[in-house]
Amino acid sequence: MFEIRMLEEGTVRLAGRLDAAEAERVGDELLAIRESVRLDCSELDYISSAGIGILIELYKRLQNTGHTMTLVNLLPRVRSIFRYAGLDRLLRIE
Amino acid sequence: MVARTFPRSFGALEAIYAFIREFVAGCGIDPEIAYDLDVIAEELFTNMVKYGRGGRREIEIALEWNVPILAIRLRDFDVERFDPMQTPPVDPSRPIAERRAGGLGIHLVRQIADRIHYDYQGRDSTITVTKVVSS
Repeated sequence: MFEIRMLEEGTVRLAGRLDAAEAERVGDELLAIRESVRLDCSELDYISSAGIGILIELYKRLQNTGHTMTLVNLLPRVRSIFRYAGLDRLLRIE
Repeated sequence: MVARTFPRSFGALEAIYAFIREFVAGCGIDPEIAYDLDVIAEELFTNMVKYGRGGRREIEIALEWNVPILAIRLRDFDVERFDPMQTPPVDPSRPIAERRAGGLGIHLVRQIADRIHYDYQGRDSTITVTKVVSS
């Protein structure tokens, strides 16, 4: 199960497992973000290529409109997936 | 080897993760390794669901722990040949704007696995992935 929780202004927490099934279910909700955002991944347990695909799409849309997307507080295993994908140096990860 | 079958639906992923957790706990190996197996299973299973042309039967997933080698095998019965390892490699150094859709899942499997073997016999498509796990 994956959840999107609004925290303070400009920060969204991703929680749970962002897999192919959940990416289908919540993709539109994530892609509705239109302003610069910090994605708090402290409770993101798992991500696969489908979840990464959604985040890449969100990153592109925000970049095209002059906004930014920053990933923060990634668990080591989630960070590893971004590294395997070669995205740890391309995305803003803190 | 412990095997179980799952419906050809993304909705089966939760049951697949549970199967993996049950297996890893039974082997007494580091529970974190289950996340690597989850990625391998999800990427290969969803590929079979999406591209296993002609497939109507459930997909079998089997797990085996033969110290220090962990193996996961997915078998799709009575389907057209589809070897996901023939997918063109992803270049992880390419800028995001130039990234094409697709191929990333298999790229992740390649990164996590130590060995990947595809076999097609009697219209059954089988992919076996092994990983050496240090205890």
